Amino acid sequence: MSFFGFNTTLPRDRDRGPSSRGFFENPDPFAEVARASGIEDDDAIDFEDTYDGLGDQLDDDQDEFNDDTFGGGGDTATGGAVGRDFDFFGRTAQVADAIGEEQIRYSLQNPRAAPAAQQEIHAPPQPAAEPTTKRTGYEKYSDPGYIPDLQAKSSVWGNLQKKPEPSPAMMPAMPSMPAPSRKMMSLEEVEAQLRNQGHSFGHMAPQSMPQMHDPSFMRHPQDFPTLPEGFPTNIPPEILRAQLEKGGLPPHMAHPPPGVQELTTSPPQNLPPQGPRHAGPPAQRQQPMPPPPSRGPNGGLPVITNPQQLVHLTEEQRQAYLMEDAKRAKRNHKIFLLSRGNGLMTPQDKNFITRIQLQQLVAAAGNVADSDPEAVLAEDFYYQVYSQIRGAPRQHPHQPLGHFAQTYLLQTGNRIGGHGNRRAFQSADNHMQRMQQQVQRAVEAAKAKPKNKQLIIEGSLGKISFSNAKAPKHMLNIKRPDSSEGVRPKKLQSDLSVGDRKSLLGNIEAVYNALMSMEDMERTMPPPPEEGDTEAIQEHMEWRQKVQSLNQKLWQALKVMEPIVPNSTTPHPFIAFLSYAKGKKAIPRIFRHIDQEQRVTILTMIVVHLDSLDVVRLAQASGPGDAQLPVAVREAIDLFSLAVMPSLLGYVNEAPFNIIIGLLGLVIAQTQVIGVARTKIGLGILTMLLSRAELVKEAGQASERDWQQWVEKFNVLFDMLEPGLAHIFPGSINSGDDMYVWQFLAAVGIGASPEQQQRLVIAVKDRVMETVGYSKTLPADMASQRLGNVNLFMRAIGLDVELLG
Amino acid sequence: MADNEDVGASVSEPLDLVRLSLDEIVFVKLRGDRELKGRLHAYDSHCNLVLGDVEETIYVVEEDENEEEVTRTIKKQEEMLFVRGDSVVLISPQA
Repeated sequence: MSFFGFNTTLPRDRDRGPSSRGFFENPDPFAEVARASGIEDDDAIDFEDTYDGLGDQLDDDQDEFNDDTFGGGGDTATGGAVGRDFDFFGRTAQVADAIGEEQIRYSLQNPRAAPAAQQEIHAPPQPAAEPTTKRTGYEKYSDPGYIPDLQAKSSVWGNLQKKPEPSPAMMPAMPSMPAPSRKMMSLEEVEAQLRNQGHSFGHMAPQSMPQMHDPSFMRHPQDFPTLPEGFPTNIPPEILRAQLEKGGLPPHMAHPPPGVQELTTSPPQNLPPQGPRHAGPPAQRQQPMPPPPSRGPNGGLPVITNPQQLVHLTEEQRQAYLMEDAKRAKRNHKIFLLSRGNGLMTPQDKNFITRIQLQQLVAAAGNVADSDPEAVLAEDFYYQVYSQIRGAPRQHPHQPLGHFAQTYLLQTGNRIGGHGNRRAFQSADNHMQRMQQQVQRAVEAAKAKPKNKQLIIEGSLGKISFSNAKAPKHMLNIKRPDSSEGVRPKKLQSDLSVGDRKSLLGNIEAVYNALMSMEDMERTMPPPPEEGDTEAIQEHMEWRQKVQSLNQKLWQALKVMEPIVPNSTTPHPFIAFLSYAKGKKAIPRIFRHIDQEQRVTILTMIVVHLDSLDVVRLAQASGPGDAQLPVAVREAIDLFSLAVMPSLLGYVNEAPFNIIIGLLGLVIAQTQVIGVARTKIGLGILTMLLSRAELVKEAGQASERDWQQWVEKFNVLFDMLEPGLAHIFPGSINSGDDMYVWQFLAAVGIGASPEQQQRLVIAVKDRVMETVGYSKTLPADMASQRLGNVNLFMRAIGLDVELLG
Repeated sequence: MADNEDVGASVSEPLDLVRLSLDEIVFVKLRGDRELKGRLHAYDSHCNLVLGDVEETIYVVEEDENEEEVTRTIKKQEEMLFVRGDSVVLISPQA
């Protein structure tokens, strides 16, 4: 048995056969030379002849101590002869105790150094064993200070490692020396002892074993059961405790000692260099049970530093070890993935980001904290409107936001706090707490911050503008004119150039401003006051007043009441307003906020200026029979029918009969009826009036006098229309879009006298016949649609297209 | 949203003039030899614009075989366009 696996059989015991030679057991190479020289003795050259006698000059009397130095004359186990297998280790071990003695003497002489030395000797087991057994691979990430720590300790161990080991053989010789006997044995000592055990060196005393104080070295199976009682009493309690903590006591001792094998067969250089292994780890090596979940991955398993060690494990252990290994690899991979971005941001970067986030939080929280709902609305108007349209899921949109910062922080705090017992996250927890406090302070500061956006420090030349994420710093500070100042010049301007395009656009914007204000007012309408609640009534009155003033503003901006200038080259401002698409689009919104009187005024204005209305004028300009109006005009007409007509119709359907009569009178008096009738919008308005009159008559609401008035007007209108009836159709027969014309004809037909109906039929007969004939060439559905349109008219006068068959 | 300005006092700063052109056809000159013509739907204080029915014209100067510079125009039609304000050189109402 040999530590290095060499053949350690002594030369004298050795079979001289070449096959049994060990690595170093080659015969002396010089023996051949000697033999050769022996042969050569017979030759002519004599040694004495060639010897120059230099050897005689050597001073031989100074080699008395050679034996001391090289141990040549000692009574070694080799039997006096210096063999080739000189036991360096054993030699050193023999004087080791002497060195140990020297060391103790030294430490006694230098009391200051003594504690350190003692510590080196006694303290090690705990700190050294822990890092090696508990290393999980996490330390690197969770506690950066850890590794430098470990390295520092290992250097301490390195010193200790160099210490000479007292030979086990000498141990019994000095029982009176407490320090060496108490000293934990280093690995080398153990190795030396075990090797000696295995060797045939005679002085290796087996009886020294029981006196060894570290139980884990007592690996003789027969020793195990008695171990607890066998503990020498002078073992320091802390060592015992350390061993108990590591679970390295009796249960594991009962196992067969593979560790012995391991220790005796594995080369020393395979052991971790951290220093002597304390009894704890070797005991744990034998621990076959799976590691408790709370421990590190190596908590209960051997520390494998060399694949060779794997071979010596039991099948079960190997299995467990491999599983652990797989787990560790998996976790390491995860850590790798997580840590991919590690170090990308410096602490300064992180601080910077944190500050930005804090500022955002403060901006969000601060706005809510010190402003009314108006500000919230101003913040994101479209979202608020949208959510209102969607049914306003939350009544106080600012409320959840108010707690945003806190909620956010609490949530994240809890999430991390959940794993709080881990040391690594403790600092993160603290960080969150600090951040929370910081946010609170920041919010406080934001509340306390002066409202004005600027700060002028006395004596400084510039201004300091505050800004946050929501309200960026103003680069320019343009003082808005007070409303009282602003009105004057604008009024002048608009008076001077009424028809000016720019002022028209300005008017439109003013209308929209007023509209938006009114819509906003509608939102803030106080609840209807109850009887006797004077305060609420007061509030309501104030609100009504405000609405009224806004209404006036809107009305002024619309310029409906501008005086009508007859024969003016520039259209009336309101008509010009309607010539813009955005003006047309505003009408439905305006109609919601104005009273009936204002509506009828608007309707009157439109009817009076029907000729000059862009949708009529431009449609006329394209000339009769030309179906292809410019795209812009067609779009304008479509928009007018979609936006303005329904509002007008909505009013007309509720308007009193006398107003209808008056409007019809205005059409006759103020417009070119034939020209207006050639346009879709013109016909539409006429249809609107005629059908309303018919409905009033049907309902019996019309007084006899009113009806007479109406019939008069109608007759005038009919007479004016009749010559142009054939030309009111848009384009040729195949253009299709003529339904509104048939509607108009139907409206005329219903109200017409039988004689007028006759004339009506004659006027449009050609078109009716054409349409019926044309519809026969069309697909069924289109044909029925066209015929249906014609039938609107035919039925109004008591006929049907079927009769034309 | 309550802009409690007086009626008629709607123009008090340069961008209020742009506001007059809302929903109107505007001509927009951009950096990089580009021009846009389209309906102005929206703008903000950075001159970010949203335009509808836009015709974009890009002027490209090339050298022909005689090494004379020839200006070529590329025209594109977009239904809707968001223009980032930092590229806007001018906004003009297209009367």
